[in-house]
Amino acid sequence: AKTFKVAVGDAAGGTQHELGKKFNEVLMEKTGGKHDAKLFMNGQLGSEQDTVNDAAIGTLDFSILAINNVTPFSPTVGALTLPYMIQSLDDAITLTQGPVGEQLVENTLRDAGVRIIGWAYSGFRVLTNSKHPVTTPAELKDVVVRVPKNEIMIDTYKAWGINATPMAWSETFTALQQGVVDGQDNPYITVYAMKFDEVQKYVTNLRYLFSIEPLIVSESVFQDQSAEDQAAILEAGKAATAHSAQFLRDQESKIKAELTEKGMVIADPADNEKEWIDLATSKVWPKYIDSIGGKDVLNNVLKSLGRDEI
Amino acid sequence: MAKATVLFRILGNIESYICRTLLSVFVILLFLQIISRELFQHSLSWTEELSTYMFVWFVFFGASYAAKLSAHNRVTFQFKLLPPKVGVVMEAISDLIWVCFNCYFVYLSYDFVFHKMNLFWKSQTLGVPMKYIYLILPIAFSLMTIRILQVNYYKLIKGIDIRDPESLEVEKLMDSDKQNSKSV
Amino acid sequence: MVESSIVLILFGSFIGLLLMGAPITVALGVSALVSFLYLDENPIKFVQIAFTSVGSFPLMALPAFILAGALMEAAGISRRLVHLAESFAGPVTGGISAAAVLACMFFGAISGSGPATTAAVGMLMIPAMIKRGYDKGYASAITASAGSLGIIIPPSIPMVIFGISAIGMVAPPEAIAKFGEFQTVSIPKLFIAGFAPGLIIATTLLIMNYVSCKKRGYHGTSDGWSFNQITKAFKEGFWSILAPLVILGGIYTGFFTPTESAIVAIFYTLFVGVFIHKELKLESIFHSLETTTWLSGRVLLILFTATVFGRLLVENQIPAIVAESMLSVTDNLYLIWTMIIAFLLFVGMFMETLAAIMILTPVLLPIAYSLGIDPVHFGIVVVCSLGIGFQTPPLGENLFIASGISGTSIEEISLRALPFAFASIVGVFIIAFFPDLTLFLPRLLGY
Ligand code: NA
Ligand code: NA
Repeated sequence: AKTFKVAVGDAAGGTQHELGKKFNEVLMEKTGGKHDAKLFMNGQLGSEQDTVNDAAIGTLDFSILAINNVTPFSPTVGALTLPYMIQSLDDAITLTQGPVGEQLVENTLRDAGVRIIGWAYSGFRVLTNSKHPVTTPAELKDVVVRVPKNEIMIDTYKAWGINATPMAWSETFTALQQGVVDGQDNPYITVYAMKFDEVQKYVTNLRYLFSIEPLIVSESVFQDQSAEDQAAILEAGKAATAHSAQFLRDQESKIKAELTEKGMVIADPADNEKEWIDLATSKVWPKYIDSIGGKDVLNNVLKSLGRDEI
Repeated sequence: MAKATVLFRILGNIESYICRTLLSVFVILLFLQIISRELFQHSLSWTEELSTYMFVWFVFFGASYAAKLSAHNRVTFQFKLLPPKVGVVMEAISDLIWVCFNCYFVYLSYDFVFHKMNLFWKSQTLGVPMKYIYLILPIAFSLMTIRILQVNYYKLIKGIDIRDPESLEVEKLMDSDKQNSKSV
Repeated sequence: MVESSIVLILFGSFIGLLLMGAPITVALGVSALVSFLYLDENPIKFVQIAFTSVGSFPLMALPAFILAGALMEAAGISRRLVHLAESFAGPVTGGISAAAVLACMFFGAISGSGPATTAAVGMLMIPAMIKRGYDKGYASAITASAGSLGIIIPPSIPMVIFGISAIGMVAPPEAIAKFGEFQTVSIPKLFIAGFAPGLIIATTLLIMNYVSCKKRGYHGTSDGWSFNQITKAFKEGFWSILAPLVILGGIYTGFFTPTESAIVAIFYTLFVGVFIHKELKLESIFHSLETTTWLSGRVLLILFTATVFGRLLVENQIPAIVAESMLSVTDNLYLIWTMIIAFLLFVGMFMETLAAIMILTPVLLPIAYSLGIDPVHFGIVVVCSLGIGFQTPPLGENLFIASGISGTSIEEISLRALPFAFASIVGVFIIAFFPDLTLFLPRLLGY
């Protein structure tokens, strides 16, 4: 019997936690209670990027983390993090669970020594701010937006005409409260969990980034398991993934209603987001095509979504 | 001759020179970030990462410099109850343990940087391979090990006690006081 | 039981190494390494922890506050604040020593460090007290005791460290189910929460000072307050008084984050020191940079080994075990507060404040959560309790400095400081038992 250590980046109560709990539940069930998984929430076992290295070396069993923290170790995964690559939950499911996803799992295994066995879906990073409603890029002009230290996100905001402020997560809430920055973007579940409604008023339903958070297992730990246990781990990952999609559907509508009730004003981007999409894809994509493995990789992804190749 | 002394003085305090430079630069960078954000509504995307990594380098070189000054805090009151020799011997042994720990850590960090680290891993906004940034660990801990040996060489073989800068400051204050009583 | 044997190895080798005279950072690192090897875990984890424990943006506040403090000394900002406090001494019994406490409060509002406060105030106030016929030991003792106000009144380096340690730790779901949601910890919140406790500790010290001075017959000057002198001190100290307003005002009006406030403090000091007071020399700037270097290197190396040590505790769920055994003794909140404060006072006698906060926060905060204690309130009590350690032997940084200034023995000062330690402890208990005293101000200001 073994208790696997699972590093979880976020605090309890979010999609990462939900994926981890379900994984543990199914793993116990499939192994007849022989193995289980203990979740260490909130980065207790190190930063998300550290956990990828730890798992690769074999000093950590599992980790659940945001996809952009996998990209530095396996660049092709970056295709999923380009702005407007994923435009709906269905797109996300098609990509992660279809042939593109299989390819990404293989690449990550080859590049980073970790195996992706499940996905948490956290939804689109919606834009919130405390100043005024925003529906067009022009209305963003006077809003100081906080972003994580992430080149693609910084470049996307640049494409929309503003310089976003990179800021550590630990400083963000206070900075919003004090007005050092006016806005930020994060999935609804995070906005709700972090009580951003206390310091933000306007929400714009942007869809430029869909947060997906893979569950990875150390390949060396995985190979140490018996064939049945390996199967159990994979099945538990699949079950947890399915659960995560359902959790997102249930939560998002509930949270939107509650945030509205608390006084937040939610708006959709003007003109079906066309201006936002055009600016982002025309200015950001070309810059990252090489780093994600070239035009073919990109077109492969677009084809699997039934969209026009470039 | 004179040139050699200058060189030795620089090498002897190399961490101090590096650290003062790093500290000044990251403090100025952070100030520029505040100014450019508050006065020009323009955020520089690379300052946070660059200053954070400069800060890490500053810390580990600074730790080595602190070792050179014999400034790492120890609990020493228990030695007052024992013959003075005991304290000297015990501290020497514990420094030997420190040297062993550092050597092992240098091996671990060398192994990590050159064999275990993912090759693709680059810093998020600057795009510098993390490998080079992590290189501070084997470098600084090697330097620190030399400093520990240096302090003990002076102390045990040459008989020059390198006092930590805090008690030096306190002594300076006492010297300036006319009604100096020998008490500490 | 794996847990009990690992606790024995981890803490046994830690204490053993400390007693051998190994630096604290070495004792932490080596005991963690031994435990890793015992658990058959790969110690290569140390490497990433070394890098990421230190590589965090908010942590840059530490060298920045140290540098700001050193520069303020050299720029003559400290001296003017102390003169201002001194001008209030007047005809009251124990007036000049009360002015020393006041000076520590003023200086505390620009400095984040206890020993720096003691040094800045003591340098001027101890000789001033002696000149008015005060006993040297008494003069040193009150300054060493009031020096702790430097870390209770914001800004405060220990609060930054507590904030960083606590931000990553959320309340366990069981505690939330029992007591409802806990507020989030943030450094500005801790800063603002420190105001009232700073006043409380200062008040207890002032009361004790009045009683002692009455007994000793230390009267004030016979010619009353000199309003000329006060006005003059105000005028001369204008830019010094402005310093805390710039630092704290900037944070609370949203111009900058707490980390950035330390940076602004540096440039404000440079500006005042070079252009207004015209006292800041290039040489003292270099000296300040150098002091900041080894002080930061020393403390942050401890942060690395303390993080590894803490990781072991977390992975082996030792904080939970400690909490359980503590709760099995009693579930009376006041008794547990008493146990925690007594423990912190004991630790504060031997250990450097920042190291103690780094090591103990991961162990004690979960206990606080499981009792429904507010994390911000808890942080303030931890900082206040450990602050008393500055004035208690054997390791009492404020004592060393006061002793250096006055040329009195550590033993004598610690003896004279006992009544003040007692007064501060009373203050800490008041702060601990009445959480609203700490929390009303942040609440009032909407935090
Ligand atoms: Na302070
Ligand atoms: Na002490």
